[in-house]
Amino acid sequence: MKNRIKVYRAMHDLTQEGLANELGVTRQTILAIEKGKYDPSLELAFKIARFFGVTIEDIFLYGDTAEQK
Amino acid sequence: MKRNTFYLLAGIVALIEVGIFWLSVKVEEPILIQVAFILGVFLIYMARRRVEDRIEDERTAMITQKAALRTLEVFWVVFFAISLGSAVVAFSRPLGLRPPHPGPPGTAAPDMLEFPVIGNFAILQMALLCLMIFLYVGFRMYYARKYGDWDTDEEQD
Repeated sequence: MKNRIKVYRAMHDLTQEGLANELGVTRQTILAIEKGKYDPSLELAFKIARFFGVTIEDIFLYGDTAEQK
Repeated sequence: MKRNTFYLLAGIVALIEVGIFWLSVKVEEPILIQVAFILGVFLIYMARRRVEDRIEDERTAMITQKAALRTLEVFWVVFFAISLGSAVVAFSRPLGLRPPHPGPPGTAAPDMLEFPVIGNFAILQMALLCLMIFLYVGFRMYYARKYGDWDTDEEQD
């Protein structure tokens, strides 16, 4: 599953460490999600989306949606 | 409690356990090391909960779970195979439901399970437990690598 966390992080001028601290996870978890090595749980996905003030679909791109964008 | 303090405490507890094991062998009291070991593990678990800079999130929990499950999947096969061998040794002699047929006067009955054999099984079991720890560490490293624990990116420079 692809995602646009890196883009939103850049828009909010946040480091991985900063975002990780805000969400209560490790920096490695943010890195693993960004690199597509780990798909977050629904709860963490909602937390990320709410933190950036957008919907889950804006950040996480599933299957065909990812190819279209 | 800082993480390094925890590691120091764990090391001290391990050293004390080794000392108590030696004492337990010396005074021939197995209960001494058994109680000390359980107390030591309890102490380490309690101390681990007080470590402040330890962040455990869903990804690390998943890595731990997967490593534990794979360890169990491999370990039970090895453990069962060795236990089957032990059972064959045990069942090939009297089961102790009735006293064994006495041997020649002044000698032990030839078909009794000798105590040193039981001791060897204990050492074998400890070796198996060590194998389990190695398996767990191996799987832990595999899954940590798979889920990006050791990945680096431009932010780390």
